[in-house]
Amino acid sequence: MTHGHLWDRLAEAKSHLAPVQSKYRVLFEDPTQPDEPAKVLVPDPNWMAAALAGNVLPPIDTYLRDRDVPDGQPKEHPYAKPIGPMTEEEAIEYLIQKDIPPQVWRDYKGNRSVMKIVPVELIPSDRSFRNAWKINQEMELAA
Amino acid sequence: MSTLNVSNISDGTDTVETGYVVNGSAKAHVNFDGTSIAIRTGSLNIASVTDNSTGKYTPNFTSSFNDAPSATGGMTIANYPGVMRVNPSTGTCQVFTATSYSGAAYIDGTDTSIQCCGDLA
Repeated sequence: MTHGHLWDRLAEAKSHLAPVQSKYRVLFEDPTQPDEPAKVLVPDPNWMAAALAGNVLPPIDTYLRDRDVPDGQPKEHPYAKPIGPMTEEEAIEYLIQKDIPPQVWRDYKGNRSVMKIVPVELIPSDRSFRNAWKINQEMELAA
Repeated sequence: MSTLNVSNISDGTDTVETGYVVNGSAKAHVNFDGTSIAIRTGSLNIASVTDNSTGKYTPNFTSSFNDAPSATGGMTIANYPGVMRVNPSTGTCQVFTATSYSGAAYIDGTDTSIQCCGDLA
């Protein structure tokens, strides 16, 4: 049985799955752009619904391989066999690998924290100093 | 899921080739509040939106485009006269909302939307 194109599965999923607003956000700083403020990744509610339901999204490694495919060349992820349901936490990990540059989550070797998964309540609602946001480096240490 | 295979669609008066409908529809669209980055629920083919800084956002596509989308559009509503610029690529789309094109001060729009047309990968 064919599983079709990813876009068709997304459209089909949207037609019958209730959107899910994630309770998480991903804060990250790009170590290659130290003067830039911290960025906030927000999962899309329809994407999250598809991730939790399963049988819509392709394996994450297809996206990672497709990063090396030049524009205009056939890509693997639209036609890959979809994976099963994920938990919300697994979906966030998937999204980090898909939508955050590898120099943040894979290649960074420094001792400054450049990425944190946080509850949405911890994102400041006051954006007066948005362009100065940095990730808080204080952390609780075990006694 | 069943598939309807037809060459043309007609309302009884006007007839159009199905390809115009399939290829002419937006392949990705999203609407979000630029002040809180709350993504509204009507989106399609969007995995996430990254809030980069004031007035700078990156919607990330779930299903990539083959080349940069051939046509993009957007709109934002802010408390100031504003402009919007969209730089599309195959997997993402850079969105900027600002007070003007030259010497722009970036601003957060409360109601920011984009749509992208083109061929998918």
